[in-house]
Amino acid sequence: MGSSFTRRRVIALLVLTSVLLVTLDMRGSSSVSFVRRSFGTIFRPVEGVVRVVTEPAGNVWHGITDYNDLVDENRRLRDLVGRQEGAAIANIATVREAQELLALNGLPTLAGIDSCTTQVVGESPSNFSQTVEINRGRNCGIRVGMPVLNAAGLIGKVTEVFNDRAVVMLITDPAYSLSVKIVNQPVTATTVPSETEILVGDSTTTTSSTTTTSTTTTTTTTLPAIPGFVPGSTVPVQSTAAIPTIPGDTTPGQGNETQVTVPPGADLPLRETGALEGRGLGKTPIVRFIEFQPRFGQIAVGSPIISAGGATSLAPPDIVIGVVSRVVTRQGSLGPILEVDLAASLQSLNFVRVLLYRPATERQSP
Amino acid sequence: MMRLVALVERPMFRLFLVGLVALGLQTTVLNDLRPFGVILQIMLVLAASSGLARGSEVGAIAGFLVGFMYDLVLTTPLGIGATVFAIAGYLAGFANSFVHEPTWWSRMLLGGVASAVGTLLMPLALAMVGIEGALTTRVVVIVGVVAVSNAVLCVPFEKLCRWILKDPEVVPI
Repeated sequence: MGSSFTRRRVIALLVLTSVLLVTLDMRGSSSVSFVRRSFGTIFRPVEGVVRVVTEPAGNVWHGITDYNDLVDENRRLRDLVGRQEGAAIANIATVREAQELLALNGLPTLAGIDSCTTQVVGESPSNFSQTVEINRGRNCGIRVGMPVLNAAGLIGKVTEVFNDRAVVMLITDPAYSLSVKIVNQPVTATTVPSETEILVGDSTTTTSSTTTTSTTTTTTTTLPAIPGFVPGSTVPVQSTAAIPTIPGDTTPGQGNETQVTVPPGADLPLRETGALEGRGLGKTPIVRFIEFQPRFGQIAVGSPIISAGGATSLAPPDIVIGVVSRVVTRQGSLGPILEVDLAASLQSLNFVRVLLYRPATERQSP
Repeated sequence: MMRLVALVERPMFRLFLVGLVALGLQTTVLNDLRPFGVILQIMLVLAASSGLARGSEVGAIAGFLVGFMYDLVLTTPLGIGATVFAIAGYLAGFANSFVHEPTWWSRMLLGGVASAVGTLLMPLALAMVGIEGALTTRVVVIVGVVAVSNAVLCVPFEKLCRWILKDPEVVPI
């Protein structure tokens, strides 16, 4: 076979073909996309059959190698679920209130963006790129660049779309980048708790109002048990302590009863923008290019990181990404580098949601 | 029907069919197993074994075809995998040509070395076309695991490639 070719001719031909292919692909040639699509059509059925045949082997392997990890993880998750069940109820109410406020002020919310729920059907077989494949594509309205989330938070963005499948670049891929906001909680000093009473519906619960010894004052409301609580319902708060309220929102004729209670302006979480970048498999993404402002103060480990949004950003604002796991300070005027502990676990992706969001600059006018 | 038989008898078509199955294994079960967090590269074994079985030229062509198929399911630029696998196939065949009487362990050794070179070249090639982030210290672990696993797999795959790439029989008239 190939006896007519000399060694040099073969090598020269292969090198030229390679250069041609790389050039065509790097320039975004449509013929390359066509070849990929056509090959995908042939290969998918073969892959499906091989997947079914080899699944028992994979299960045996995981059974042998991952059993202890699974037991540990199961125990840890049970503890975690127990801890978070209580917090989730209070969070639902907070989220609903925040959405109502955003809607009231005509600001965009994630709830107003259509989405396409889909399932992860494959991962990249390469050791050098982090992508997954999902089983919905152009037919569901998915386009290149759209953000992909799971129940915990952002996992990546769509990089290739076919009619009934799409490729998602994970947030850990070195090529991934996104504008994000870091929400820095103001630091409070030693607190002296003093008990006040807040009426929730007909029942009375105890809340701890804390007063700081510094100039800041933080009011924390904890509701350990909420009998008769309905998520989404507005909780009327009758203020018997010196909790600041929005003056215009008090209903005339109802004394101190108010619908909205906010902390003082100085205690609102401070936000700063930066750029999130993936660093490859096994490494946490980082946030860099943070503008250092004295008002922002020291970034605390555990500060939440959310998408920044904006007219040119591919992701809408306020998608949860993770929390700061480590702060690496740098000399001079360079801002710190933040290592990010992602909210979403990328090792066990199953059902994910593609937000059918396009930035304002990419939307076609009707 | 005769045309179909003639087509199946062509070595490169047989390689394409076997490559499809190997690619299926690569994207499914091997993608799941990941010993030491590394995905074993069965497509690279196929390329290196082709070189061991039929020499450097055939190894280069077979490696190119197998790498091209692999490229088509990856998101990396088309042609990178083809080039790297062609080099691995060529290298395996070229090195084997210097061995006076190849034995199973010499094939294992050469297959492992060719796979290691191929695995090392992949992030280098990606860096050359401007894709950063692949060339990290983790490459050392990947090269080690892939080299050892491919060395083991080279022996059966070399026999398989001998059958795949055998010249079509000429039927006397």
